[in-house]
Amino acid sequence: MSDYKKFDALVVGGGIAGMESSILLGDMGFKVLLVEKESSIGGKMILLSKVFPTLDCSSCISTPKMAATAAHNNITVLNYSEVEEIKKKEDSFTAKILKKASFVDPAKCTGCGQCELACTVPLLDQFNCDLIPRRAAYIAFPQAVPKKAVIEKFGTSPCTFVCPVGIKAHGLVSLSRSGKFEEAYLLYLEDSPMVGTLSRICSAPCEKRCTRNQLEGSIPIRNIKRYIADKHFESFPTPQKKEPKNILDKKIAIVGSGPSGLSAAYYLAKKGYKVTIFESSDKLGGKLQLIPEYLLPKNLLDRDIEEITSYQNIEVKLNTTVSSLGKLKEDGFEAVLLSTGTCHDKGEYPDVLKQKNVIDAISFLQNKESYEALSSKNVVVFGGNNIAMHCARVALRHKANVSIHFEKDRIDMSASKKEIDDAVNEGAKLVLNSQLDKLENADFIIYSIDPKPDLSLLKGSELESSSLKVNEFQQTQIPWIFACGDVTSGHSNILKAISTSKKAAFYVDLFLNNIDLHSEKFDDRLPAVKPNEIKERYNSSFPKHMQFLPHLRADKLSLEEIEQTISEEEIKKYATGCLDCGGCSECHQCVNICPANAIDFSIRPVNYEVEVDTVIVSTGFKLFDASKKEIFGFGRFPNVIDAMQMDRILAPTRPYNAVIRPSDGKVPSNIAMILCVGSRDKKVNNNICSRVCCMYSLKQAQLIMGALPVADLTIYYIDIRAFGKGYEEFYHQAKEMGIRFVKGKVARIEEDEESNLNLFYEDIEEDGQVKIANHDMVILSVGLLSNTSAFEPFKDLKLDSDEHMFVKEVDENIEPAKTSIDGIFVAGTSTAIKDIPDSVLHAGAAAAQAAGYISKKRRGL
Amino acid sequence: MSNPKILVFSTNNISDPGIDLAGASHMDYPESVKIITVPCSSGISPKWILNAIKGGFDGVFVAADGTDCPYLTDCTDRTAKIVEKSQELLTTNNLDPRRIKMAAICSVCAESFASHIKKFYKALSELNN
Ligand SMILES: Cc1cc2nc3c(=O)[nH]c(=O)nc-3n(C[C@H](O)[C@H](O)[C@H](O)COP(=O)(O)OP(=O)(O)OC[C@H]3O[C@@H](n4cnc5c(N)ncnc54)[C@H](O)[C@@H]3O)c2cc1C
Ligand code: SF4
Ligand code: SF4
Repeated sequence: MSDYKKFDALVVGGGIAGMESSILLGDMGFKVLLVEKESSIGGKMILLSKVFPTLDCSSCISTPKMAATAAHNNITVLNYSEVEEIKKKEDSFTAKILKKASFVDPAKCTGCGQCELACTVPLLDQFNCDLIPRRAAYIAFPQAVPKKAVIEKFGTSPCTFVCPVGIKAHGLVSLSRSGKFEEAYLLYLEDSPMVGTLSRICSAPCEKRCTRNQLEGSIPIRNIKRYIADKHFESFPTPQKKEPKNILDKKIAIVGSGPSGLSAAYYLAKKGYKVTIFESSDKLGGKLQLIPEYLLPKNLLDRDIEEITSYQNIEVKLNTTVSSLGKLKEDGFEAVLLSTGTCHDKGEYPDVLKQKNVIDAISFLQNKESYEALSSKNVVVFGGNNIAMHCARVALRHKANVSIHFEKDRIDMSASKKEIDDAVNEGAKLVLNSQLDKLENADFIIYSIDPKPDLSLLKGSELESSSLKVNEFQQTQIPWIFACGDVTSGHSNILKAISTSKKAAFYVDLFLNNIDLHSEKFDDRLPAVKPNEIKERYNSSFPKHMQFLPHLRADKLSLEEIEQTISEEEIKKYATGCLDCGGCSECHQCVNICPANAIDFSIRPVNYEVEVDTVIVSTGFKLFDASKKEIFGFGRFPNVIDAMQMDRILAPTRPYNAVIRPSDGKVPSNIAMILCVGSRDKKVNNNICSRVCCMYSLKQAQLIMGALPVADLTIYYIDIRAFGKGYEEFYHQAKEMGIRFVKGKVARIEEDEESNLNLFYEDIEEDGQVKIANHDMVILSVGLLSNTSAFEPFKDLKLDSDEHMFVKEVDENIEPAKTSIDGIFVAGTSTAIKDIPDSVLHAGAAAAQAAGYISKKRRGL
Repeated sequence: MSNPKILVFSTNNISDPGIDLAGASHMDYPESVKIITVPCSSGISPKWILNAIKGGFDGVFVAADGTDCPYLTDCTDRTAKIVEKSQELLTTNNLDPRRIKMAAICSVCAESFASHIKKFYKALSELNN
């Protein structure tokens, strides 16, 4: 498509009218660009059951037209696209077109449909009028042209968007609800290591942004991850040795093995680099080793670390203190990553502490031997950070009397609300605005100021005098030295550590490949889907769900893990509450299964600008939204459906494969049809007759009688308008089949406890009394309205409308299809309600007008 | 031989969706059916059919478009001629011409496809005995 810049005609909307105009113009030799907003052309007609009055199969007669359109040498179909702007340019027009991202390369997709089966996200199927769900990865319908899959993604789901590490929270949830836990573990590893650790100690920003958090409470995403990790570790107690596809001959040194150093090693080893981790202590893990067992069991942390070091291209050097960066360079490391974290400098201690029985928080957490002495002692923890809270809770577990002292107010404490609450609930006393020099009665003081970046190895390097700085690529002042984690930001948290390490690894890779660091974007997630868009999709009525309560160990002060993993059944139950905010969850099941390698999440929307001589608007009609007529209960009573839904139920590609009612799948035996819903009705601002409703209702009535010969069928009407060729005969044919016609207006509908419906109606012909009739299914023959999106591209140019917002034909009587703009024509139901034969006829007129216009212009007339 | 193998030639835009629909609606037909998609049935060569039968298929079913072909209006007539030639070719090779069958399958002809195939399968089973 990008090769084409000029067309003779642009046709907007690929329904029956748009296709007919395109084919006719194409046959005359004009080059046509047909733009369709859905993934398939065909419009409403391909979705219909049969057509009146001949009762021909609607798909059988549309498919050849669709195929002929797509196969035509002079027609280019641009599906899944919208025309954003049409402007006049000298004596032609320019059009701006946006092709939505489908995340499937149509050149590779064979339409096999395997992605649909693997996809874990259900969304409403617009091609079945929302009667049933389809998947986020879908092919519109079996007859789709082009028959290619598209993946519907409204944006990044809020949970996934907010994760600093880029873990696909939504994907993990959608996989879990399908019971695909191992797949979820693997998806997790695509984005981040340390699955078990994060599932315990992550602050879970995803849960805070979860849309359900505004309703009954967030989906327990961290607990779901916890189950994913536990289940994997249960099946695989030790990880398999891993070797990346290609080992590169480049060495990288990582100094420090906290979560940032470990994760960086993981990301770089996956890419094939030879990574060496230098660690001055005798264990990998850095500060993670200090997190008490009741929050993060050691065996879990060890398992996470093994997952990383199982890469054959990672070498670990424990008890090795790096003292010269230059030496590393000499040893052949082409890049160095500093991840030395933070440490305490005892020299900074205030004087008052010097004589007392004081221990700094980090030493306290390291020296477990000292805990025995705490019993019944008064322990003061001085500080407001998360380390202080850990110390307090450890001391409580060793039977000390603990008070937490902080020099300012509670809001100034850097520990999270939960961390503080947990410590207080376990029995620690919180003393705010306390002063160090006024502490009394303290047997031990645990002093917990924020540790400072550990820069000891910079001594003697060019960086010694200036402070360490990193740019937006995590690169320091010396280009081959990168840094990440707390050493760059000061005391923070594991999310920051892993996210900066991921970024550093990304840019180290570019750096070592001599690629300009500005040239590639580190995080190219789509924007987050907006909360009001999510609401709109659910019509503001979100399905109810249950609130999650964490499962905690009964004895509060146990040394073992407090929080417990919930059962698989519960996980699935909670995961089904997910609202699938962003559409596709990026669970990558389609990517894994697609035999053609067609799925590509780096695809983004494309903007085209084309020049055309003429435009035909054929955007069709919109259906009246029956829920606006509240008295009929559409949207509230499941067995009240609209006519388009009924046409689907009767179509060969029908959703239920039988004529049944939605509430319980029962075959209906007493059906009502109500005509003129939303037409000829001033109350809903639409006083015109929709022309086709009488006839399509008669068609559906005959088809229902054919499918359910013993059913009773009543049509409530004002009057029957059978104007076209063969239509009156069609009406009589329906009457002869035993369909009951009641002339009267339905005042309202009520539902009984069996989901049957009571119709209150005025019987005009009999006695004018108000009567009640009971039916087990009601079909609302809804009217057709203008699709006002026809006007949207016309910003500077003014496309006139009639009083019902249809595109106005300025000379209706003698110049069909001509609009208020010279060179712009209209075809089909965009200009007035029409049935299919009339739409086709009108599309012919539009094509002839457009062809005449171009020829005249070219001859200089 | 009890489970005849059937090769189906089906057209991309018209017969394929119909056959797809048979699967999507969980209709029952023999699983020994293999389908090759072609743009238009009139492009099939008698040699392919002979090759298929010689190569181990018990029958070949040509799902044609009827009058719906987006490429050619007379494709059914052309396909019929190809089928006729193929039958002759089978006869000269001492193979039973009844091993070829042709029928029009439209884009929603799922039921008709399933029933054609079932009948053909039965006929081939009898031929094999
Ligand atoms: C329930 C029901 C039953 C019916 N039964 C019959 C029947 O039996 N016989 C009969 O003759 N008629 C019937 N009709 C009427 C028939 O559906 C219409 O006459 C026909 O579909 C009109 O075709 P169209 O091309 O004008 O519009 P549409 O079919 O509405 O096609 C418009 C196309 O434009 C696309 N589009 C819309 N906006 C944009 C945009 N901004 N950019 C790009 N593309 C866009 C749409 O996706 C669609 O593909 C029935 C209608 C209904 C509601
Ligand atoms: S699995 Fe791949 S080839 Fe098959 S329909 Fe989906 S995207 Fe296309
Ligand atoms: S990534 Fe997952 S949710 Fe998205 S389309 Fe693929 S299978 Fe469906």
